[in-house]
Amino acid sequence: MTARSFETGTPAGERAGSPSLWSRIWQQDAPGYLFLLPWFIGFFGLTLGPMISSLYLSFTHFDLLTAPRWAGLDNYVRMFTNDPKFSASMRVTMFFVIFSVPLKLAFALGVALLLNRGMKGLPLYRALFYLPSLLGASVAIAILWRQIFAGDGLVNKFLALFGIIGPSWISNPNYSLWTLIVLSIWQFGSPMIIFLAGLRQIPQDMYEAASLDGASKWRQFWKITLPLLTPVVFFNAIIQTIEAFKSFTPAFIISGGTGNPINSTLFYTLYLYQEAFGFFRMGYASALAWVLLALVAIFTAFSFLTSKYWVHYDD
Amino acid sequence: MTFRIGRRQFLMGSSALMAAGAVGAGPAWAQGTNLRLIFWGGQNRADRTYGVADLYQAASGNSVEGEFLAWNDYWPKLATQTAGGNAPDIIQMDYRYIVEYAKRNAIAPLDEFVGGALNLDGFDQDQLDGGKVDGKLYGISLGANSVATLINTVAFSEAGVEPPNRDWTYEDILTKGEAFSKANVRGGMKMMSDASGTEPMLDNWLRQKGLSLYTADGKLGFGADEMTEWFKMWNDFRAAGVIVAPDAQALDTGPLETTMLVAGKAALMPSNSNQLVGFQALVPDRLDMVGYPRLAPGVGGGHYRKPSMFFSVGGSSANKEAAASFLNFFISDPEAAKILGVERGIPCLPATREIVAPTLDEANQIALNFVANLGDLLGPLPPSPPAAAGEIDISLLRTLSQEVAFGARSPEDAGPYFVNEATAILNRAS
Amino acid sequence: MTDAPMKLTVVGAETPLWRKRAISILSHAALIGASILMLYPLLWMLAASFRPENEIFTSASIIPSEWSIDAYFRGWNGLRTSFGVFFTNSFIISILSVVGNVLACSLAAFAFARLEFRGRRLWFALMLMTLMLPYQVTLIPQYVLFRQLGWVDTFLPLIVPKFLAADAFFIFLMVQFFRGIPRELDEAAMMDGAGPWRIYWKIMLPLSTPVLATAAIFTFIWTWDDFFGPLIYLNQMRDYTVMLGLRTFTDSTGTSDYGGLFAMSVLSLVPIFLFFLVFQRMLIEGIATTGMKR
Repeated sequence: MTARSFETGTPAGERAGSPSLWSRIWQQDAPGYLFLLPWFIGFFGLTLGPMISSLYLSFTHFDLLTAPRWAGLDNYVRMFTNDPKFSASMRVTMFFVIFSVPLKLAFALGVALLLNRGMKGLPLYRALFYLPSLLGASVAIAILWRQIFAGDGLVNKFLALFGIIGPSWISNPNYSLWTLIVLSIWQFGSPMIIFLAGLRQIPQDMYEAASLDGASKWRQFWKITLPLLTPVVFFNAIIQTIEAFKSFTPAFIISGGTGNPINSTLFYTLYLYQEAFGFFRMGYASALAWVLLALVAIFTAFSFLTSKYWVHYDD
Repeated sequence: MTFRIGRRQFLMGSSALMAAGAVGAGPAWAQGTNLRLIFWGGQNRADRTYGVADLYQAASGNSVEGEFLAWNDYWPKLATQTAGGNAPDIIQMDYRYIVEYAKRNAIAPLDEFVGGALNLDGFDQDQLDGGKVDGKLYGISLGANSVATLINTVAFSEAGVEPPNRDWTYEDILTKGEAFSKANVRGGMKMMSDASGTEPMLDNWLRQKGLSLYTADGKLGFGADEMTEWFKMWNDFRAAGVIVAPDAQALDTGPLETTMLVAGKAALMPSNSNQLVGFQALVPDRLDMVGYPRLAPGVGGGHYRKPSMFFSVGGSSANKEAAASFLNFFISDPEAAKILGVERGIPCLPATREIVAPTLDEANQIALNFVANLGDLLGPLPPSPPAAAGEIDISLLRTLSQEVAFGARSPEDAGPYFVNEATAILNRAS
Repeated sequence: MTDAPMKLTVVGAETPLWRKRAISILSHAALIGASILMLYPLLWMLAASFRPENEIFTSASIIPSEWSIDAYFRGWNGLRTSFGVFFTNSFIISILSVVGNVLACSLAAFAFARLEFRGRRLWFALMLMTLMLPYQVTLIPQYVLFRQLGWVDTFLPLIVPKFLAADAFFIFLMVQFFRGIPRELDEAAMMDGAGPWRIYWKIMLPLSTPVLATAAIFTFIWTWDDFFGPLIYLNQMRDYTVMLGLRTFTDSTGTSDYGGLFAMSVLSLVPIFLFFLVFQRMLIEGIATTGMKR
């Protein structure tokens, strides 16, 4: 389809003969920009300024309480040459992203498929499965996670039935990050809902037609469900990855903001937060944030480039 | 980031402008000034504070509008308000942050008001000094406080072990601890929590040796050998099984409810005298309090009476003198004293202390007696810590103590490592 | 892909009745088992809100030794301002946020998904970028900005951005769904002389109930659960939201009313749970009820 031009109700475009440049712009571009108007006001008025400020601050020493001092590339140089905690937190975050995102997505999709079948009591199950995500960052989660994963917690009581003496998972540096990965998977409610919404959008008559053609449910899943769901899978994968890179609250509430034991749960943004508000180095924290942005942006751009090979849009 | 319109002008429009005019014209502060106060704490503290604010308003005509937050939320908000040029007039300050805020003029020196709006005659000298940074007074101590070991008395009697008294030593941790472990009460409860990463305990231990955490000029006050010795000592306790295991100790992330004392994993825990009340509310067994252990019998001088918290005046406040007059009222008015009790610590003016003393409940009584009778445990007040002290504690000492406890680093290695890293942090901050 | 959905999808139309039954029973059993896992935190919180204060952290059992409803009354009036006020504030902010987000984000998403205009890719990329910067570093510049606008200490910093589509998450979400709606529909409408506004309003929105409901649910819940925005921008207790009220309950350095905290935590879940229950119906209706045929 060629560039589409909508009728905007203005007679400008109908002036036969020589449509001026201005009227072409009005016809072609104006609708898009008009629909984006609220977003533009928000972006230029509220979002862009603070973003540029933080980019500027990343080239300064800023202790929050006095005016920022220009520092050139100091912050970035320190980050890559002389900051073991930067690399430690990057490792923790990478590990978290690599394991939590695929597992959470698989789990969310699996449950969404299960819940999309015409079973009795489905609204109730859906609500129950969403419950953990409702709790958000409540204090209760921190306490609960200890009750499950501490040395005398539920997991170990269960293991004891088989004669296994488990460690204190949540406070042992070898396993503590895994308890956070489990927490992230447990709160799979939002991607599940998005998958469900995506499944609901697949027209039922496509399945009916396929059934008539004798396609098995298995085939239908691969030929209809999955391809039509790819835009949603793509969305969830991108968003969950970005969110996992930025993940802050779980580590903050579980480790009390410390990132311990032995920095094993020192997420990147938790480190950034410590630097900014704990040790008064907002300039350095801003530099950390922009390095994260660059990393995530590269990942996202790469995903968009590859998406045309596997994401199927209807247009 | 430096525009000068006060928040109050947004709120009150022209009347605030008139008030601002009055400030310029008449006395240094006019009646009817509205002061903003921010503090951390719970509703109990807020009720008392607002009660005093109402009294103050009736007495002076100035109103005080208070805002309170939980500790973890308090600091980012205060930093944001300060950075946004919107800091309150009166700011509750902690010993840890006062240097940070003072050195950056985010809080104001109060010396010019002493003797005027602020009458500090008879104020405990050590508490006065505790609020000084570089010789200038930046914070008025709201209560004296000391480190203290909290004791679960019931657990000790179940174990048939005599709880520690004011003469107990580090050696007792081993001997008493072994007896305690042998009794095997409450599913393997240990006698004591692992305090190898507790900065005040290290400080207390160093002070008994005649050293200190930091020197007056902001350098590290001890060497790699002491640090190694410290970690070795705790490794010995760990090996003997008298303190809680590292993966249990790591469950303690700061809040009261995560501590080994509340979790019932240890019967002794180093803490602060003003926290007894808070702990007692969470533990069904009766708690008691004793000093930190001595290096050897007869050795003292590790403790000092530390300001539990301060009130400071915002560096950009337009109503500094009115704020000082509120501080004066807060610490000295007899009616205010009755409302405040010892919720923020033991009052530092003798007259106020006398008003408060008879009204206390048991836990508070214990705390008051303990702080008042430190005797030979008491040593000189240490110099105010350098600005990076908080970072060294949080991001170095605590993590390193866990590395040693989990066996990821040997004490011999941890000593020099600590000194190197701490020096680097101190240099970076200065 | 997990194997659970595969097993379930291989069941064809000709499966014998007993097998269908068995599978149905098994799925229910699995779902019930999983639900218990999901419910445990709520049960624990419920129990904590009814049990004596000094038992909350020391008792291993989930059943309280004595039951008392006291914490609910204590908690409701535990702070200087009653929780009723906090609930009202949370409702105002959350409902307005839902309206703002659904309107503004769907407008922007329609532009990105369906309209051709110069710079579209650039704006889309910039929009996604706003998702990637950790909020911790824009907090202070944003505070300064809102203070200059005179909005600090009001609900405006929490609501106005929603009407300006500041949350790129929802734009991106809607773009993905709008692109799944067949183009033939708006092409047909265009032939009939419909402009972009009519296509947006008459075709896109009605066909997008599932994603709009999703956006509404998430906006409501996330706004309700948010505490950092309210923490920074609201100073007076009468403006506090429920989450901010809950945070004020505990002070890790002193005495806290944990019973009251958990009682109010339970109550704070009720509105978001109800909101979820109501709006998830729209998830189910979706395209099936719009009578659309390809």
